[in-house]
Amino acid sequence: MDSSADAFAPPVAGWIPVSPRLATARRVTLVLVYVLVIAGGVVLALTPLPVLWLVVYAVAALAAFVWTWWIIGRRVRSFGYAEREGDLLVVSGILVRRLVVVPYGRMQMVDLRAGPIDRWLGISTVQLHTAAATTDAAIPGLLPADAADLRDRLAARGEERTAGL
Amino acid sequence: MMQPRRTSPLSPLVQAAPALPAAVLFFIGPGAAIVERSGIPFVVLAVVGALIGYAVFVAVAWLAWWRRTFWIDDDGDLRLDSGLIQRSARRLQLSRLQSVDIVAPFLARLAGLVEVRVEVAGSGDSRIILRYLTRADADALRGLILQVTRAEESDDAPQSQALAQVPAGRLLAGLLLRSVTAGLLLATILLLVVTSLSQGPAGLVLVIITGGLPILSVVTEFLANYDFRVARTREGLRIQRGLLSTQSRTIPPDRVHAVSIVSPLLWRHWGWVRVTVTIAGVQGDEVRPDVLIPVAPRDEALRLLAEVLPDVDVDALPFESAPSRARWRAPLTWRSLACAITPQVIATRSGRMTLRTSIAPHARVQSVRVTQGPWERRFGLATVHADVAPGPVDVAGRHLAEKDVAALAPREVDEMRRARLRG
Repeated sequence: MDSSADAFAPPVAGWIPVSPRLATARRVTLVLVYVLVIAGGVVLALTPLPVLWLVVYAVAALAAFVWTWWIIGRRVRSFGYAEREGDLLVVSGILVRRLVVVPYGRMQMVDLRAGPIDRWLGISTVQLHTAAATTDAAIPGLLPADAADLRDRLAARGEERTAGL
Repeated sequence: MMQPRRTSPLSPLVQAAPALPAAVLFFIGPGAAIVERSGIPFVVLAVVGALIGYAVFVAVAWLAWWRRTFWIDDDGDLRLDSGLIQRSARRLQLSRLQSVDIVAPFLARLAGLVEVRVEVAGSGDSRIILRYLTRADADALRGLILQVTRAEESDDAPQSQALAQVPAGRLLAGLLLRSVTAGLLLATILLLVVTSLSQGPAGLVLVIITGGLPILSVVTEFLANYDFRVARTREGLRIQRGLLSTQSRTIPPDRVHAVSIVSPLLWRHWGWVRVTVTIAGVQGDEVRPDVLIPVAPRDEALRLLAEVLPDVDVDALPFESAPSRARWRAPLTWRSLACAITPQVIATRSGRMTLRTSIAPHARVQSVRVTQGPWERRFGLATVHADVAPGPVDVAGRHLAEKDVAALAPREVDEMRRARLRG
């Protein structure tokens, strides 16, 4: 197949990766989910079902756990962003790859978010909003200081571009 | 600018009307007992009961009506004070006006009244709906609002010029021949034949779904789009339509974010198309206000399109087609998939049964997205999306060659910036 031109090629300066702490945060969530999965296993063990079912359940759960654990790492490494002169680029995804280009002039709002696990691990998400609901530009896994800087920089650039109209 | 005033005094009567059937139902229960005991005929009782119930609702609506005033203040803002106990004061900046629509719902129309909807740019609930005014008052208010917003403009332009009209016959034919509707109706006929031949009643249950749903949608859309007329006015394209309740809305050309030209398979014989539009800040409410023309010959539709998107020659867009290997990803539609970028717009094409050409001016595109699923990657394909304001139009060049997308996406970003600089 034609691989001469890559639609997801990194910009000249390269992608800025997000913090590996994002993987930790997602794995913590995974473990929390697995508390429920294990509880399900315990319930299953208490019912008078053949032991075989319990084994199948355990193997499937373990396989899913290992696979998700591994994919989280890859997915987090796939995130990258780049601030260019006139726009912000965000790339993400392994199975389905995405690249979003948002010109600073089109930004309406920049959000900074952090859930409880994120705060505990010291990361946050910067999300850009435009007039289009389909603009899917979120950069998770930023260190709080970087995130705040990025938000302020984006907001300032957005203002500058809109003011020039 | 304008003294505070109330809506038409007949409004409470209309607003309370939907309560009538409820009032009748309410009196049926106790009514039966009273009929037995007193011998008063049931009809008399029902009428009296309904009237009492209606009167209660009218009284409540009247109090609300009495406490509701609107006016245009000296700053040129439209104000609405309302509320019986909990007062609310709403203020719309008319300088940010998006549309003034006059709508005549069925009941109001019987009383010779209309409702006026004033919408301004902004997120959330940024509109005032005045229920109800007389036709003359509504026209006067609309004139006044437009005068406030366009105070600086001269008055010499003609009031309105008719551009297009949809005859009832064409509208009905068009609705019946839409791909999904036609398919379902065909299925209904087949089911009827099969059922009558095999003499089993089981198939009739399906007939209700395959026949009932499309007929319902055809009837609804026919009523909504009956006597569809488009005219050019100073404020933009004015669209009027409706049989039982009429609607009038104005599309300012600079609020059009994207358009889509749709041509279902069975329409192509007559060369008919439908044009839908995405308008900023206006979420689709009620019945398809996002339609620029429901069914029209292509030439006529393109003329209308030129009103909202000047300088775009739809028949000469330099489309970049999907490569033939796209058939492995989209076996039915791959032939039509394409994307074009001109100095003014980005356009995409898709569909097989129903062909769709979507166009958005660069100045309206919010962001550019490239996506690639695993199957697309396997064949060196990718999809480029031009994100526009929420609405019926989706501008996406699907399953194009990855190297084309790698060129198209940066070009679109470039054009967006240039369009922004042009203002």
